[in-house]
Amino acid sequence: MWESYCAVEAGLGREENFLSLDDVLMSQEKLPCRLESGLARLGFLDKGGETEHIPQGSKMELPLWLVKGLYDNKRRIISVELPKIYRQGWRTVFSADANVVDLHKMGPHYYSFGSQLLNFDSPENTEIAQTLLQTFIGRFRRIMDSSQNAYNEDTSALVARLDELERVLFKAGQSGLNDFQNWERGQAAQITASSLVQSYKKRKFHETDT
Amino acid sequence: MEDDLALSDEASDAGSEEVLTPAELINKLEEAWLNEKFAPELLESKSEIVECVMEQLNHMEQNLQRARQGDLKISFHHMEIERIRFMLSSYLRSRLHKIEKFFPHVLEKEKARGEGEPPHLSPEEFAFAKEYMANTEALLKNVGLRHMPPNLQTLDLIKCVPKPNLDSFVFLRVKEEQQSILVEPETDAQSEYAIDMEVGSQHLIRYRTIAPLVASGAVKLI
Amino acid sequence: MDASEVEFLAEKEMVTVIPNFSLDKVYLIGGDLGPFNPGLPVQVPLWMAINLKQRQKCRIVPPEWMDVEKLEQIRDTERREETFTPMPNPHYMELTKLLLNHASDNIPKADEIRTLVKDTWDTRIAKLRLSADSFVREQEAHAKLDNLTLMEINTISTFFTESLNHMYKLRTSLQTPEDGQTQEY
Repeated sequence: MWESYCAVEAGLGREENFLSLDDVLMSQEKLPCRLESGLARLGFLDKGGETEHIPQGSKMELPLWLVKGLYDNKRRIISVELPKIYRQGWRTVFSADANVVDLHKMGPHYYSFGSQLLNFDSPENTEIAQTLLQTFIGRFRRIMDSSQNAYNEDTSALVARLDELERVLFKAGQSGLNDFQNWERGQAAQITASSLVQSYKKRKFHETDT
Repeated sequence: MEDDLALSDEASDAGSEEVLTPAELINKLEEAWLNEKFAPELLESKSEIVECVMEQLNHMEQNLQRARQGDLKISFHHMEIERIRFMLSSYLRSRLHKIEKFFPHVLEKEKARGEGEPPHLSPEEFAFAKEYMANTEALLKNVGLRHMPPNLQTLDLIKCVPKPNLDSFVFLRVKEEQQSILVEPETDAQSEYAIDMEVGSQHLIRYRTIAPLVASGAVKLI
Repeated sequence: MDASEVEFLAEKEMVTVIPNFSLDKVYLIGGDLGPFNPGLPVQVPLWMAINLKQRQKCRIVPPEWMDVEKLEQIRDTERREETFTPMPNPHYMELTKLLLNHASDNIPKADEIRTLVKDTWDTRIAKLRLSADSFVREQEAHAKLDNLTLMEINTISTFFTESLNHMYKLRTSLQTPEDGQTQEY
């Protein structure tokens, strides 16, 4: 299929893709941090606080893009704490059975955000990276099977527990299946209206109904 | 209609030693089309094939104009022309698609090309890529960048636009036997090993490993 | 790739037709065809066979493997073996669909054939998923896929290669980025 607009995919790894909307949304996620030096006149960043300056030792949640800007191994302005889901306790849960976890609720950018954390030189980096990979491998089969069996069914329950990256994959699996099934039933030869036009029609009908 | 279709003239005009029959030419086009569809990067431009095919099509169409309409034979020719035209457009379209996706890298590669190396882009594609680059830069400047503080007004598109991922996996079929292709290990626990590829066998492997074989025509992507 | 593009490739396969008209040799760009004589079998590409059939100008002779007994054997072997068994034609699925949709009156026991081919297909696709999963779990770097057909590969390829790409990135994210690749915005 030829799409007139081709979205830039998420970077997945230490680098973000600058033009990827997924990565923009991901880098907006908050990260718990501790300030190693005070920040003068930046009190407005802390919504609860009323002081003009942010004192050293404050704990606050900052979006990833800001943390990446402030983080510097030598100057130690800020140190990063691992969000719960990437810590030892949760890593054990993932290694027991990755399929039981609702990654959407816990994420929803579990893999991309997790890879970004590797930028902050945590001593647990190796374990985090291992868990991300093993979690993906462990959940692969279920995503493949559900995306290949879900034709014409309500897929919202299946998709609900998937992380954003997995959802994109799920869609790829489904469109492969749908394309084949349409072909098999001889519908590939029919020219259909674009989805944009179709949803426009639906809206029209809806308006006349009410 | 029963003219000799040997391509020797066209092929030698285009600077190639090969003499292809029209049927072989169409097979070459099909292979170029599929390779381009499945390769993660923009492949070398096959302008020669495109030109020869265009020539064949035009030639055939001229002949058909002189022929009696409604003839069964004529309809066969029309159908065949439509099929070849479909492949040709799909081939060119998948190249344009990649140019749009990777434009700064495509232009960079073309700039770095040494004297005597064949161009990666046809002249038309090169013009398209340059225009696409200029338009994208102008758009980003007009909508966003010019409203930014002066020190943030530049944007390096080479860094912003993702590169083709040469490490992606591809499916291929072997045309010429290959021995001792080195397969890099995926994990530290594995070690490098060599595989042989027999003619007609099919493989799933990382594109980077076999990219030279795609270029030389020893394997084709599927 | 779309399934319809795979079908396009399958339409190049040669099939035998029995025409009811006469016509001299036709010199197509892709090769010569004919001559056509009423009642005499002649080989043509599938796209032409279907067109002739639609205009009621020929009868299509089903390929020799499109036969209930042979297909039953193929299905049983496929179910018995763990690996992919060779198919009678690299485009067996497309040929079955096209011929049964356009020329079912020329094919004896068309419905049984449709079911047999579909059963074989389902068995193969189940194997394909099984091997995809083990490829991912073992983190393999190479797989040999003889006997798989283009249509089979095509149903899973986008999903599968994208997954492998994700895995590659997750695996390599620990290594420090290449020099000169660090982005400053």
